Amino acid sequence: MRADLRRRSVLAAAVMTVPLVAAGCKGVGALGTPPEPGPDVAMLRGAIDTEQALIARYRSAMAGSPALSGTLGPLLAQHREHLARLTSMLIEPAGHGASPGTTPSAARTTTAAGSGPAATLAALEAAEAGAARSLASRLTLAPPALAQLMASIAASEASHALLLRTHQAGG
Amino acid sequence: MTAAAGPAATGPAGRAQTAAALQSALAAENAAIYGYGVAGAQLGTAARVQALRDWTQHEVARDQLQAMLTSLGVKPVAAQPAYRLPFPVHGTRAAISLAGYLENQVAAAYLGIVALDDSRLRSWGAAQARACALRATTWLGRTVAFPGLASGAGPATARPSASP
Repeated sequence: MRADLRRRSVLAAAVMTVPLVAAGCKGVGALGTPPEPGPDVAMLRGAIDTEQALIARYRSAMAGSPALSGTLGPLLAQHREHLARLTSMLIEPAGHGASPGTTPSAARTTTAAGSGPAATLAALEAAEAGAARSLASRLTLAPPALAQLMASIAASEASHALLLRTHQAGG
Repeated sequence: MTAAAGPAATGPAGRAQTAAALQSALAAENAAIYGYGVAGAQLGTAARVQALRDWTQHEVARDQLQAMLTSLGVKPVAAQPAYRLPFPVHGTRAAISLAGYLENQVAAAYLGIVALDDSRLRSWGAAQARACALRATTWLGRTVAFPGLASGAGPATARPSASP
Protein backbone atom coordinates (compact mmCIF):
# COMPACT_ATOMS: atom_id res chain seq x y z
CA MET A 1 0.00 0.00 0.00
CA ARG A 2 2.77 2.40 0.95
CA ALA A 3 4.64 1.48 -2.18
CA ASP A 4 1.50 2.32 -4.12
CA LEU A 5 1.37 5.74 -2.50
CA ARG A 6 4.98 6.40 -3.37
CA ARG A 7 4.29 5.53 -6.95
CA ARG A 8 1.82 8.38 -7.05
CA SER A 9 -0.05 6.76 -9.84
CA VAL A 10 -3.32 8.32 -10.68
CA LEU A 11 -6.17 6.68 -12.40
CA ALA A 12 -7.75 9.18 -14.74
CA ALA A 13 -11.26 7.93 -14.31
CA ALA A 14 -12.71 10.73 -16.39
CA VAL A 15 -10.58 9.91 -19.40
CA MET A 16 -13.28 7.83 -20.98
CA THR A 17 -15.70 10.70 -21.20
CA VAL A 18 -13.19 13.45 -21.86
CA PRO A 19 -10.55 11.72 -23.94
CA LEU A 20 -9.09 14.82 -25.55
CA VAL A 21 -8.52 16.56 -22.26
CA ALA A 22 -6.95 13.49 -20.75
CA ALA A 23 -4.76 12.89 -23.77
CA GLY A 24 -3.32 16.33 -23.26
CA CYS A 25 -2.55 15.72 -19.61
CA LYS A 26 0.89 14.23 -19.30
CA GLY A 27 1.24 14.98 -15.62
CA VAL A 28 -0.88 15.10 -12.55
CA GLY A 29 -0.35 18.82 -12.03
CA ALA A 30 -3.13 19.78 -14.37
CA LEU A 31 -5.56 17.74 -12.32
CA GLY A 32 -4.64 19.36 -9.01
CA THR A 33 -4.01 17.22 -5.96
CA PRO A 34 -3.72 13.65 -7.09
CA PRO A 35 -6.14 11.30 -5.43
CA GLU A 36 -4.63 8.41 -3.54
CA PRO A 37 -4.11 5.46 -5.81
CA GLY A 38 -6.47 2.66 -5.01
CA PRO A 39 -6.88 -0.95 -6.03
CA ASP A 40 -8.10 0.27 -9.41
CA VAL A 41 -4.55 1.35 -10.27
CA ALA A 42 -3.31 -2.15 -9.54
CA MET A 43 -6.13 -3.50 -11.66
CA LEU A 44 -5.19 -1.19 -14.50
CA ARG A 45 -1.56 -2.21 -14.22
CA GLY A 46 -2.58 -5.85 -14.34
CA ALA A 47 -4.57 -5.24 -17.51
CA ILE A 48 -1.65 -3.36 -19.05
CA ASP A 49 0.72 -6.22 -18.20
CA THR A 50 -1.65 -8.69 -19.81
CA GLU A 51 -1.80 -6.66 -23.02
CA GLN A 52 1.96 -6.36 -23.13
CA ALA A 53 2.27 -10.11 -22.70
CA LEU A 54 -0.24 -10.74 -25.48
CA ILE A 55 1.58 -8.34 -27.79
CA ALA A 56 4.84 -10.18 -27.10
CA ARG A 57 3.12 -13.49 -27.84
CA TYR A 58 1.80 -12.25 -31.16
CA ARG A 59 5.15 -10.83 -32.20
CA SER A 60 6.83 -14.08 -31.36
CA ALA A 61 4.17 -16.09 -33.18
CA MET A 62 4.44 -13.95 -36.30
CA ALA A 63 8.22 -14.19 -36.24
CA GLY A 64 7.99 -17.97 -35.95
CA SER A 65 5.19 -18.39 -38.50
CA PRO A 66 5.37 -15.58 -41.06
CA ALA A 67 2.59 -17.25 -43.05
CA LEU A 68 0.20 -16.34 -40.23
CA SER A 69 0.90 -12.62 -40.46
CA GLY A 70 -2.25 -11.92 -42.46
CA THR A 71 -4.35 -13.54 -39.75
CA LEU A 72 -2.48 -12.31 -36.72
CA GLY A 73 -1.55 -8.80 -37.84
CA PRO A 74 -4.99 -7.24 -37.35
CA LEU A 75 -5.35 -8.91 -33.95
CA LEU A 76 -1.94 -7.61 -32.87
CA ALA A 77 -2.96 -4.13 -33.98
CA GLN A 78 -6.07 -4.34 -31.82
CA HIS A 79 -4.01 -5.36 -28.81
CA ARG A 80 -1.87 -2.29 -29.37
CA GLU A 81 -5.07 -0.24 -29.32
CA HIS A 82 -6.07 -1.93 -26.06
CA LEU A 83 -2.69 -1.13 -24.56
CA ALA A 84 -2.81 2.49 -25.69
CA ARG A 85 -6.28 3.03 -24.25
CA LEU A 86 -5.42 1.36 -20.95
CA THR A 87 -2.17 3.27 -20.67
CA SER A 88 -3.96 6.54 -21.33
CA MET A 89 -5.98 5.94 -18.17
CA LEU A 90 -2.84 5.73 -16.09
CA ILE A 91 -1.27 9.12 -15.52
CA GLU A 92 2.04 9.20 -13.77
CA PRO A 93 4.70 11.79 -12.97
CA ALA A 94 7.47 12.42 -15.47
CA GLY A 95 10.36 10.04 -15.15
CA HIS A 96 8.15 7.11 -14.33
CA GLY A 97 7.10 5.31 -17.43
CA ALA A 98 3.44 4.41 -17.66
CA SER A 99 4.37 0.96 -18.82
CA PRO A 100 7.06 -0.41 -16.55
CA GLY A 101 8.19 -3.96 -16.80
CA THR A 102 8.18 -4.15 -20.55
CA THR A 103 9.09 -7.77 -20.23
CA PRO A 104 6.07 -9.10 -18.37
CA SER A 105 6.25 -12.59 -17.04
CA ALA A 106 3.95 -14.09 -19.63
CA ALA A 107 6.17 -12.75 -22.40
CA ARG A 108 8.83 -15.19 -21.34
CA THR A 109 6.54 -18.07 -22.17
CA THR A 110 5.78 -16.91 -25.67
CA THR A 111 7.09 -20.00 -27.36
CA ALA A 112 4.03 -21.91 -28.45
CA ALA A 113 3.67 -25.37 -27.08
CA GLY A 114 4.38 -27.70 -29.92
CA SER A 115 5.27 -26.28 -33.28
CA GLY A 116 3.72 -25.22 -36.53
CA PRO A 117 0.94 -22.79 -37.34
CA ALA A 118 -1.84 -24.92 -35.86
CA ALA A 119 -0.13 -25.13 -32.49
CA THR A 120 0.63 -21.42 -32.63
CA LEU A 121 -3.02 -20.57 -33.30
CA ALA A 122 -4.17 -22.89 -30.52
CA ALA A 123 -1.75 -21.33 -28.04
CA LEU A 124 -2.86 -17.81 -28.95
CA GLU A 125 -6.51 -18.82 -28.71
CA ALA A 126 -5.93 -20.11 -25.19
CA ALA A 127 -4.07 -16.93 -24.24
CA GLU A 128 -6.88 -14.73 -25.59
CA ALA A 129 -9.56 -16.72 -23.81
CA GLY A 130 -7.61 -16.57 -20.57
CA ALA A 131 -7.11 -12.81 -20.85
CA ALA A 132 -10.80 -12.28 -21.55
CA ARG A 133 -11.83 -14.40 -18.57
CA SER A 134 -9.39 -12.59 -16.31
CA LEU A 135 -10.71 -9.16 -17.28
CA ALA A 136 -14.31 -10.26 -16.96
CA SER A 137 -13.74 -11.64 -13.48
CA ARG A 138 -12.11 -8.45 -12.21
CA LEU A 139 -14.26 -5.74 -13.73
CA THR A 140 -16.84 -5.84 -10.92
CA LEU A 141 -14.31 -4.10 -8.67
CA ALA A 142 -13.34 -1.35 -11.09
CA PRO A 143 -14.67 2.21 -11.30
CA PRO A 144 -17.44 2.45 -13.91
CA ALA A 145 -15.44 3.84 -16.84
CA LEU A 146 -12.63 1.33 -16.36
CA ALA A 147 -15.17 -1.48 -15.95
CA GLN A 148 -16.67 -0.56 -19.33
CA LEU A 149 -13.27 -0.52 -20.98
CA MET A 150 -12.36 -3.86 -19.40
CA ALA A 151 -15.66 -5.38 -20.55
CA SER A 152 -15.12 -4.11 -24.08
CA ILE A 153 -11.55 -5.40 -24.23
CA ALA A 154 -12.67 -8.73 -22.77
CA ALA A 155 -15.33 -8.95 -25.50
CA SER A 156 -12.72 -8.12 -28.13
CA GLU A 157 -10.36 -10.79 -26.83
CA ALA A 158 -13.11 -13.38 -26.66
CA SER A 159 -13.85 -12.64 -30.31
CA HIS A 160 -10.13 -12.96 -31.10
CA ALA A 161 -10.25 -16.43 -29.57
CA LEU A 162 -13.26 -17.27 -31.72
CA LEU A 163 -11.54 -16.06 -34.88
CA LEU A 164 -8.36 -18.01 -34.06
CA ARG A 165 -10.44 -21.14 -33.49
CA THR A 166 -12.16 -20.58 -36.83
CA HIS A 167 -8.80 -20.35 -38.57
CA GLN A 168 -7.69 -23.62 -36.98
CA ALA A 169 -10.83 -25.33 -38.19
CA GLY A 170 -10.34 -23.86 -41.63
CA GLY A 171 -6.80 -25.27 -41.84
CA MET B 1 -27.32 -16.19 -16.05
CA THR B 2 -29.46 -15.49 -13.07
CA ALA B 3 -29.69 -11.74 -13.43
CA ALA B 4 -33.34 -12.08 -14.34
CA ALA B 5 -33.93 -12.88 -10.67
CA GLY B 6 -33.90 -9.15 -10.17
CA PRO B 7 -31.39 -6.37 -9.73
CA ALA B 8 -30.58 -5.26 -6.22
CA ALA B 9 -30.70 -1.51 -6.68
CA THR B 10 -29.93 0.46 -3.57
CA GLY B 11 -31.62 3.80 -3.02
CA PRO B 12 -33.81 5.81 -5.36
CA ALA B 13 -30.87 7.23 -7.34
CA GLY B 14 -29.25 3.85 -7.92
CA ARG B 15 -32.61 2.43 -8.75
CA ALA B 16 -33.30 5.12 -11.36
CA GLN B 17 -29.85 4.64 -12.85
CA THR B 18 -30.37 0.89 -13.00
CA ALA B 19 -33.77 1.28 -14.61
CA ALA B 20 -32.41 3.71 -17.21
CA ALA B 21 -29.56 1.37 -18.18
CA LEU B 22 -31.90 -1.61 -18.40
CA GLN B 23 -34.38 0.37 -20.50
CA SER B 24 -31.63 1.42 -22.90
CA ALA B 25 -30.54 -2.18 -23.30
CA LEU B 26 -34.14 -3.25 -23.80
CA ALA B 27 -34.67 -0.57 -26.46
CA ALA B 28 -31.51 -1.76 -28.23
CA GLU B 29 -32.67 -5.37 -28.06
CA ASN B 30 -36.07 -4.40 -29.46
CA ALA B 31 -34.41 -2.65 -32.38
CA ALA B 32 -32.05 -5.60 -32.94
CA ILE B 33 -34.94 -8.05 -33.00
CA TYR B 34 -36.61 -5.93 -35.66
CA GLY B 35 -33.33 -5.58 -37.57
CA TYR B 36 -32.65 -9.30 -37.56
CA GLY B 37 -36.06 -9.82 -39.09
CA VAL B 38 -35.12 -7.46 -41.91
CA ALA B 39 -31.70 -9.07 -42.34
CA GLY B 40 -33.06 -12.61 -42.28
CA ALA B 41 -35.37 -11.87 -45.20
CA GLN B 42 -32.33 -11.01 -47.34
CA LEU B 43 -30.26 -14.06 -46.48
CA GLY B 44 -29.89 -17.48 -48.02
CA THR B 45 -30.87 -20.62 -46.16
CA ALA B 46 -27.68 -21.25 -44.16
CA ALA B 47 -27.23 -17.64 -43.11
CA ARG B 48 -30.91 -17.36 -42.32
CA VAL B 49 -30.55 -20.23 -39.85
CA GLN B 50 -27.76 -18.29 -38.18
CA ALA B 51 -29.88 -15.13 -38.16
CA LEU B 52 -32.75 -17.05 -36.59
CA ARG B 53 -30.47 -18.39 -33.88
CA ASP B 54 -29.13 -14.91 -33.08
CA TRP B 55 -32.62 -13.43 -33.25
CA THR B 56 -33.73 -15.97 -30.65
CA GLN B 57 -30.83 -15.04 -28.37
CA HIS B 58 -31.88 -11.40 -28.55
CA GLU B 59 -35.43 -12.38 -27.71
CA VAL B 60 -34.24 -14.27 -24.65
CA ALA B 61 -32.22 -11.24 -23.54
CA ARG B 62 -35.21 -8.99 -24.16
CA ASP B 63 -37.36 -11.21 -21.96
CA GLN B 64 -34.75 -11.11 -19.21
CA LEU B 65 -34.54 -7.32 -19.36
CA GLN B 66 -38.31 -7.02 -19.24
CA ALA B 67 -38.41 -9.27 -16.19
CA MET B 68 -35.68 -7.28 -14.44
CA LEU B 69 -37.49 -4.00 -15.07
CA THR B 70 -40.78 -5.43 -13.89
CA SER B 71 -39.12 -6.62 -10.69
CA LEU B 72 -37.94 -3.04 -10.16
CA GLY B 73 -41.53 -1.85 -10.52
CA VAL B 74 -40.73 -0.16 -13.82
CA LYS B 75 -42.78 -0.57 -16.98
CA PRO B 76 -40.53 -1.99 -19.71
CA VAL B 77 -40.21 0.21 -22.78
CA ALA B 78 -42.29 -1.12 -25.66
CA ALA B 79 -40.94 -2.09 -29.06
CA GLN B 80 -41.68 0.26 -31.94
CA PRO B 81 -43.73 -1.15 -34.79
CA ALA B 82 -40.86 -0.29 -37.17
CA TYR B 83 -37.35 1.16 -37.02
CA ARG B 84 -35.42 3.27 -39.48
CA LEU B 85 -32.42 1.28 -40.60
CA PRO B 86 -28.92 2.82 -40.61
CA PHE B 87 -28.53 2.09 -44.34
CA PRO B 88 -30.58 0.44 -47.09
CA VAL B 89 -30.64 -3.32 -46.67
CA HIS B 90 -30.88 -5.02 -50.03
CA GLY B 91 -28.99 -8.24 -50.58
CA THR B 92 -26.79 -10.53 -48.54
CA ARG B 93 -23.88 -8.20 -48.01
CA ALA B 94 -26.01 -5.39 -46.57
CA ALA B 95 -27.92 -7.87 -44.42
CA ILE B 96 -24.68 -9.15 -42.91
CA SER B 97 -23.45 -5.60 -42.36
CA LEU B 98 -26.72 -4.82 -40.60
CA ALA B 99 -26.28 -7.80 -38.28
CA GLY B 100 -22.78 -6.63 -37.38
CA TYR B 101 -24.03 -3.09 -36.85
CA LEU B 102 -26.88 -4.22 -34.62
CA GLU B 103 -24.57 -6.30 -32.46
CA ASN B 104 -22.25 -3.37 -31.84
CA GLN B 105 -25.18 -1.13 -30.92
CA VAL B 106 -26.55 -3.68 -28.49
CA ALA B 107 -23.07 -4.18 -27.02
CA ALA B 108 -22.90 -0.43 -26.42
CA ALA B 109 -26.16 -0.56 -24.50
CA TYR B 110 -24.90 -3.42 -22.36
CA LEU B 111 -21.79 -1.44 -21.46
CA GLY B 112 -24.23 0.99 -19.84
CA ILE B 113 -25.19 -1.84 -17.51
CA VAL B 114 -21.51 -2.58 -16.85
CA ALA B 115 -21.22 0.95 -15.41
CA LEU B 116 -23.76 0.19 -12.67
CA ASP B 117 -22.70 -0.53 -9.10
CA ASP B 118 -24.50 -3.87 -8.83
CA SER B 119 -21.76 -6.43 -9.44
CA ARG B 120 -24.19 -9.11 -10.59
CA LEU B 121 -25.65 -6.80 -13.20
CA ARG B 122 -22.17 -5.71 -14.24
CA SER B 123 -21.10 -9.27 -14.87
CA TRP B 124 -24.28 -9.99 -16.76
CA GLY B 125 -23.90 -6.86 -18.89
CA ALA B 126 -20.29 -7.81 -19.66
CA ALA B 127 -21.34 -11.34 -20.63
CA GLN B 128 -24.02 -9.92 -22.92
CA ALA B 129 -21.56 -7.50 -24.53
CA ARG B 130 -19.23 -10.45 -25.08
CA ALA B 131 -22.03 -12.43 -26.72
CA CYS B 132 -22.71 -9.49 -29.03
CA ALA B 133 -19.03 -9.32 -30.02
CA LEU B 134 -18.94 -13.05 -30.74
CA ARG B 135 -22.05 -12.84 -32.93
CA ALA B 136 -20.64 -9.84 -34.78
CA THR B 137 -17.39 -11.70 -35.43
CA THR B 138 -19.28 -14.72 -36.71
CA TRP B 139 -21.16 -12.49 -39.15
CA LEU B 140 -18.34 -10.26 -40.28
CA GLY B 141 -15.39 -12.64 -40.05
CA ARG B 142 -13.35 -9.98 -38.29
CA THR B 143 -12.96 -8.41 -34.88
CA VAL B 144 -12.82 -4.90 -33.48
CA ALA B 145 -10.65 -3.52 -30.69
CA PHE B 146 -13.50 -2.03 -28.65
CA PRO B 147 -16.90 -3.67 -29.13
CA GLY B 148 -19.60 -1.28 -28.00
CA LEU B 149 -17.20 1.63 -27.55
CA ALA B 150 -16.58 4.34 -30.10
CA SER B 151 -13.00 3.79 -31.25
CA GLY B 152 -10.75 6.52 -29.94
CA ALA B 153 -13.46 8.15 -27.83
CA GLY B 154 -15.36 7.40 -24.69
CA PRO B 155 -18.05 4.78 -24.28
CA ALA B 156 -20.75 5.00 -26.86
CA THR B 157 -23.96 6.33 -25.46
CA ALA B 158 -26.44 3.55 -25.19
CA ARG B 159 -29.03 4.09 -27.84
CA PRO B 160 -31.34 1.94 -29.87
CA SER B 161 -29.76 0.47 -32.94
CA ALA B 162 -32.24 2.15 -35.18
CA SER B 163 -34.51 5.12 -34.78
CA PRO B 164 -38.21 4.54 -34.57
